Amino acid sequence: MLTTPAGAVPLTLALLVLAVVVSAPLVRVAGRNAGWPLAALYLLAAGAFTPAAADAVAGGHARWSMEWVPALGVELAFRVDGIGVLFTYIATLIGAVVFAYSTRYLKRDGANLSFYLVMTTFTAAMTALVLTDDLVVLFVCWELTSIASFLLIARSGRGAEAPSFQALLVTFVGGLAMLVAVGAIVARTGTTVLSEALRSDVWGADPSFATAVALLVIIAAFTKSAQFPFHVWLPAAMAADTPVSAYLHAAAVVKAGIFLLMRFGPAFADVAVWHVLLIGVGLLTNCLGAWFALAQTDLKKLMAYSTVSQLGLIVAAIGVGSPVGLTAAVVHTIAHALFKSGLFMLVGVVDHAAHTRDLRRLPQLYRAMPWTFAVALVGCASMAGLPPLLGFVSKESILTAMRDAPAGALALAVAAFGSVLTFSYCAKILLGGFVDGREEREIHPVEASLWWPTALPILLGVPLAFALGLLEPPVAAAVEAGLPAGAAGEHPHLSLWHGLTLELWVTALVVLAGVLVALRRARVFPALQRDWFGFDGARVVDLLTRALASAGRVVDRPVAVDHPSRHLVFILGSFAALLAGGAAVLASGGHLPAPQPGLSAPIDAVVLVLVTVGAGVVALSHNRIAATVSLSAVGVLVVIQIIALGAPDVALTQMLVEALTIVVIMLVLQKLPTTFPRSSRGSRARALGFAALVGVGAAAGTWALTGRRGTSGVAQHYIEDAPVISGGANIVNVILVEFRALDTLGELTVLGMAGIAIVALVSTVRNDHLDPPGDQEIPEIDLRADGSAAERAIRAAWANVLPLQLLLRVVNPILALVSAILFLRGHNEPGGGFIAALVGSAIVGLTYLSTSRDRQIGPPRLPVFLVGGGVITAVLTGLAGLVGATSFLEPLHGHIGAWHFSSSLVFDLGVYLAVLGLVMIAFNLLGTSAATRTAGEEGTRERADEAVEGELSGPLDTVRGESPGRVGRTTSFISSGTRPKEPGR
Amino acid sequence: MILPLTIGVLVTAGVYLLTRRSMVRAVFGIGLLSHAANLLILTAGVTSFREEPIAGRVDPALAADPLPQAFVLTAIVITLAVMVLMLTMAVIGHDDDLRRAPEVGETPDS
Repeated sequence: MLTTPAGAVPLTLALLVLAVVVSAPLVRVAGRNAGWPLAALYLLAAGAFTPAAADAVAGGHARWSMEWVPALGVELAFRVDGIGVLFTYIATLIGAVVFAYSTRYLKRDGANLSFYLVMTTFTAAMTALVLTDDLVVLFVCWELTSIASFLLIARSGRGAEAPSFQALLVTFVGGLAMLVAVGAIVARTGTTVLSEALRSDVWGADPSFATAVALLVIIAAFTKSAQFPFHVWLPAAMAADTPVSAYLHAAAVVKAGIFLLMRFGPAFADVAVWHVLLIGVGLLTNCLGAWFALAQTDLKKLMAYSTVSQLGLIVAAIGVGSPVGLTAAVVHTIAHALFKSGLFMLVGVVDHAAHTRDLRRLPQLYRAMPWTFAVALVGCASMAGLPPLLGFVSKESILTAMRDAPAGALALAVAAFGSVLTFSYCAKILLGGFVDGREEREIHPVEASLWWPTALPILLGVPLAFALGLLEPPVAAAVEAGLPAGAAGEHPHLSLWHGLTLELWVTALVVLAGVLVALRRARVFPALQRDWFGFDGARVVDLLTRALASAGRVVDRPVAVDHPSRHLVFILGSFAALLAGGAAVLASGGHLPAPQPGLSAPIDAVVLVLVTVGAGVVALSHNRIAATVSLSAVGVLVVIQIIALGAPDVALTQMLVEALTIVVIMLVLQKLPTTFPRSSRGSRARALGFAALVGVGAAAGTWALTGRRGTSGVAQHYIEDAPVISGGANIVNVILVEFRALDTLGELTVLGMAGIAIVALVSTVRNDHLDPPGDQEIPEIDLRADGSAAERAIRAAWANVLPLQLLLRVVNPILALVSAILFLRGHNEPGGGFIAALVGSAIVGLTYLSTSRDRQIGPPRLPVFLVGGGVITAVLTGLAGLVGATSFLEPLHGHIGAWHFSSSLVFDLGVYLAVLGLVMIAFNLLGTSAATRTAGEEGTRERADEAVEGELSGPLDTVRGESPGRVGRTTSFISSGTRPKEPGR
Repeated sequence: MILPLTIGVLVTAGVYLLTRRSMVRAVFGIGLLSHAANLLILTAGVTSFREEPIAGRVDPALAADPLPQAFVLTAIVITLAVMVLMLTMAVIGHDDDLRRAPEVGETPDS
């Protein structure tokens, strides 16, 4: 043995986590073939687990733990017992087989990264789930498996959207129940250690608590294991790829519910509801699932309902709670994981070969694919419970267990009925899928690597049935772990031949009835395919969702409007009332301290008068240009006010931002009507009255709450100490990049994200709805003849921009120099990253405006890289502070010659890059005009696509950001005869 | 005290514009409101102290509170980002009417 039993657990988990980490690079290198090394890793993990498994089978309980949240006593604790061993091997071994299968099933050039990434994540979570000894870890892993299952369904294309959300909804309901259960258990037993909590005497002492928790656990398990009425998500989830179905929906995720029931079984041994619900719902699900399976014509759907049915049988066996029942459940879990994952993959093989899995359209496959037929025969025989297969052993022990159940005769009869249905749908798979077909179809050859992973798990059931002695010790260990301490009396005995027992007679009857059904199939199957209930589970969920939605609409009718005014009335109205009312109360009560002397300066009054005029024009003008000009005037006035308040940095920034904003507004306005839409006089008057109230509130609040104290302690601290601590004289800049650098990091991230959001936003809109139609007419002016200087000066675009271009030859270098100086001196004088970047942005803006053709400036992907680079630079500087100094973003100081250097300068560089990135995005994406289309230049949508994808030949024809079919070295445009999209139109 | 009045005027115009149908006007409203908010934050630093907070140049007793200035500087740049993003939204579908969803070329079922 390589490791100790306790050491095997972290090793196993580490190998599985390693699989997650390497999956992305592996897919990059090997494409779909990444399944091979990943399968090998799984086998390695299974091998590494052997010492712990052997120890658990011998009766040991290897435990390994690591601190996670010490304050709450939560540990990453793992404890190996029989149940953990069982499910760990299912997760890793079936996982390895499914990965081998995936290497041939997946498309060669498909989006395989997400498949392998999520699958490996799932395996790691599932294994941790079944091994953990901590309730919190249990819950986290439980949810991880739900999320992974959702993602794996959702990634299979548009048709999978609704099913994936159904799966998410149902399993998260269970997750919530689980959360409540975990919380209740931790609160009541006082420990998060699973094994201790389950051994607690609370369960016996407080039956009502035990019942409540049992119900919650049942909901969690039933949602995951697709028990009635939560079974709806599983058949719908068949939209996922076949490997996902074979792994998650046959062997792993649905077995998580079974695992949970086994795990919590010991605590609920005395809870009557537990047994009744498990047996009752389990058997009901068994029969219903089998009935629905019989009604399907899609082989994969049939398999899904068959899984629902088989899981019901296992749940019922667990519900019996006796050693025999648990033995049956454990063996059937193994048998089902083997034959069902194989059968799912077999459906994939059939699908690959015949390009359909509809029973009504399949040809006589047994001639073309005799070996596949043979494997299917073995798998279905095992599912139907025929000797000498593992499925027979487990099915018979379940029947034995049912005799122990309360109302044993009834339970046995129902289980037998379910078995008849099971036998019938197995016959339907075989006869309908391989024998009865009439249609002639071309059969495509199937690669060996697709075939043998299919056959392996199914055929493994044959020798296992004869080597039951080997299976017995691990099964016994699992059974022991699933029973209350000391309850595992007699050793379960597995065997193919128990003598002429009642179960054998029942099996014989089942086979007889099943054969009769199969013989009359020409009549029976079509009759069953009728829609018997007129609805199915998915429809019920759909109806429920819709009913909830209409109820929601009734509730939200008073407030649900898309335009903002109605919401604003509530928010701003209460704001105004609170401030104005509060100020009045404070003033009248004499609670307000006296204001500081000298709060106002003469210039304030000048600004007030001019701002009133400017803001009035902005608000009341219907002409867009007039409003914009006034807005800019107000901005300048505010800058003057800010200078008067002694804030040069702020004023500089505001001034530059103002200029940039105005330019961007002008770019936007050229695509919109020249005037604002008018509204009625009454509406305007009401709005104005309301706005005035809010204004009074704001003014009253400001008056009452500011200017009534001396210099604050914080201000004192910054003014006196900041230059000493940081070595910079410009206190505001020092605060920005050093003392409150985290704020600035957040700010530049917002800035960058706004840029990214603009790109994302534009690339969800189709091209036609972005750029103005290119039908703008050039007004007729009486000019001299064509070719004359006057005509050229007015009409030719390049001549129009010539003055600006000539000017920029001088101005741009100056701006660059100013930008550099502002950047470098920011530490001591007004300036800094933002201001410098805004000056630098002016170069971008002026250059854009000075080109005679509407073209993007810079390489198309540069802005996105600038944003990303800026954020990364800033974060890295922060990390340098964490490593070199004591905390995140703490600046490092040094000297280069006589020049004092601080790492905050690098941080400022990050700010610079992010601002520049946003500005470039704004100009490139908003800068198109009516002339863009006329001139055949790149439109807004194409620019947004290029910002992400690099140079393209035209706008993408998608609204959801799918990958482009780009003209490149490896495309097949010519060979397939499809023309690529061409620029212009 | 004059600044509260300036703030009140800016808020009045800003709120009025926010309730209008045109998205561009709403963006202008946001611009005016953020001017008001910035002035308010600066006012919170007590406007009796109006000297530039640069070490070695001013009497510390008269220097303006640098912290609100740093806040406002951050706020100004975020306003820029928000306004540019909102202007992008305004332009989609060649129409900035807030009471009608813009046309984006997506059919309701896709």
